[in-house]
Amino acid sequence: MAEDLVLDTAIRDWVLIPLSVVMVLIGVLRYFVSKLMRSFQVPDLKIVKEGQVIVRARNLRGAANFIPPKSFRSRRVYFSNEENGLLFVPKGQAQNAQAQMFSDPNMAMDMMKKNLSMIIPQTLTFAWVNFFFSGFVAAKIPFPLTQRFRSMLQNGIDLSTVDVSYVSSRSWYFLNLFGLRGLFSLILGEENAMDDTQRMMQMGGFGFDPSKSLSAEKDGLDIVQHDWALPKFEHRAEAVLKKLVS
Amino acid sequence: MVSKTEETQLNRLENQVDNGGGGAWEYLCLVRKLKVRRSEKVLKYGLSILNDPKKRSALGPEEWTLYEQVAIAAMDCQCLNVAKDCIKALLKKFPESKRVGRLEGMLLEAKGLWAEAEKVYSSLLEDNPLDQVIHKRKVAMAKAQGNISGAIESLNKYLEIFMADHDAWRELAEIYVSLQMYKQATFCYEELILSQPTVPLYHLAYADVLYTLGGLENLQTSKKYYASTIDLTGGKNTRALLGVCLCTSAIGQVSKGRNKEDKESPELQSLAAKALEKEYRQKADDKLGLLTSALRSLKI
Repeated sequence: MAEDLVLDTAIRDWVLIPLSVVMVLIGVLRYFVSKLMRSFQVPDLKIVKEGQVIVRARNLRGAANFIPPKSFRSRRVYFSNEENGLLFVPKGQAQNAQAQMFSDPNMAMDMMKKNLSMIIPQTLTFAWVNFFFSGFVAAKIPFPLTQRFRSMLQNGIDLSTVDVSYVSSRSWYFLNLFGLRGLFSLILGEENAMDDTQRMMQMGGFGFDPSKSLSAEKDGLDIVQHDWALPKFEHRAEAVLKKLVS
Repeated sequence: MVSKTEETQLNRLENQVDNGGGGAWEYLCLVRKLKVRRSEKVLKYGLSILNDPKKRSALGPEEWTLYEQVAIAAMDCQCLNVAKDCIKALLKKFPESKRVGRLEGMLLEAKGLWAEAEKVYSSLLEDNPLDQVIHKRKVAMAKAQGNISGAIESLNKYLEIFMADHDAWRELAEIYVSLQMYKQATFCYEELILSQPTVPLYHLAYADVLYTLGGLENLQTSKKYYASTIDLTGGKNTRALLGVCLCTSAIGQVSKGRNKEDKESPELQSLAAKALEKEYRQKADDKLGLLTSALRSLKI
């Protein structure tokens, strides 16, 4: 095992602390910039309506047994007939979200704004760290670690003889990038914390398709067996009253 | 809907504030959260906070929410000057805001300047055609002017988009009942039952409308819904008990010739009558005579 490396205190003063401070400041700045760029989105009529249709159809499915058979049947036809039912999506019309995104420049613009506020500062800071601080050993964690942590903690140093508990400056940058969420939620308030990982998830789950949930709801409605619950209620009411009178 | 615990909490706070125990701001917050209508108190205590610069600035950004709340309460109490001052303060702070524009429209409405209010709302809707509150204001305005058919029309248009809004369905149902359009009202009540199947009041109202419509089938259905109301309220609802009695006698009258009494629940009526008698004996003994004579007249 190699002897202990002695870290210069100047590294602490000029690398470790500035790096952390800059990361925090950039996070705060990014929050305010994205707040400035956030545009008020007018919800789309069609999407709102589809959401409401789904809620109402779900209510109908859930509470079907509480209304008379005739009313249920007429409602079901209204929702799921093959001509102009509310839940019926004609085959050709079911456009996918991708195409919709390209047809709507506003949506693309919004995406771009979001991405810009995320990617630009990240690339800049990464370039900055790489340029000035590459190859520094910036810190040492006070406990030993196994070899597998090498890629996490010593990014940028290609020496296999250095003990794993030393942290390189580039790794310190990454640790800060993903680990400062708790601090941001303290500074900027609970819900404002910039959460990169969450954002990436959002990007992944982008292709939400309302017409799919419409047709799923239609299928669900089609197989509902209507069994009017009210005749049973008469017996239950009798039981209740018997208890009350006696 | 306001639950019982929330209501007791609200009343306790109100009592405390009334007796000078402080906590006015908490009371106003609770009123706003529960969306209850206590305009006079809101006006009184809200104004006392707003007129005290120290208390007002202690609220921070919440100050403007309070201005809005007080403005609406003031319009409800016809203190239009107060409302105007509040809106003016808000307008100074948020010159372009739609939310303040809405308040301006409401102020015009409160003054009875329908045409101007209509103009304000229309221009607001142009910016955001999906603003639910403004759509509802327009319905309310039509209703206030006595233009019931206009109110129905715009409510229907609203419900075409926001069809899961049960408060709107309820309003529509009540309007239809007031116009004696019972067929349409039944549809609305069915919709309400679908959205909240365990609220007995909707079952009761539905049964009332069906009973009013008449006809053997409707009467039988109506009786079933009165029964479900009894079940859901645990037999505490006098109207439902009376409804069962009325329905049974009406069914008896309608189906006189072919006497195929429904075998499902032969005892329901007598039980309901007994429950009624018991309740009257407990709560209004002097009116028991009226009840027994009324029930006797029902039994053919």
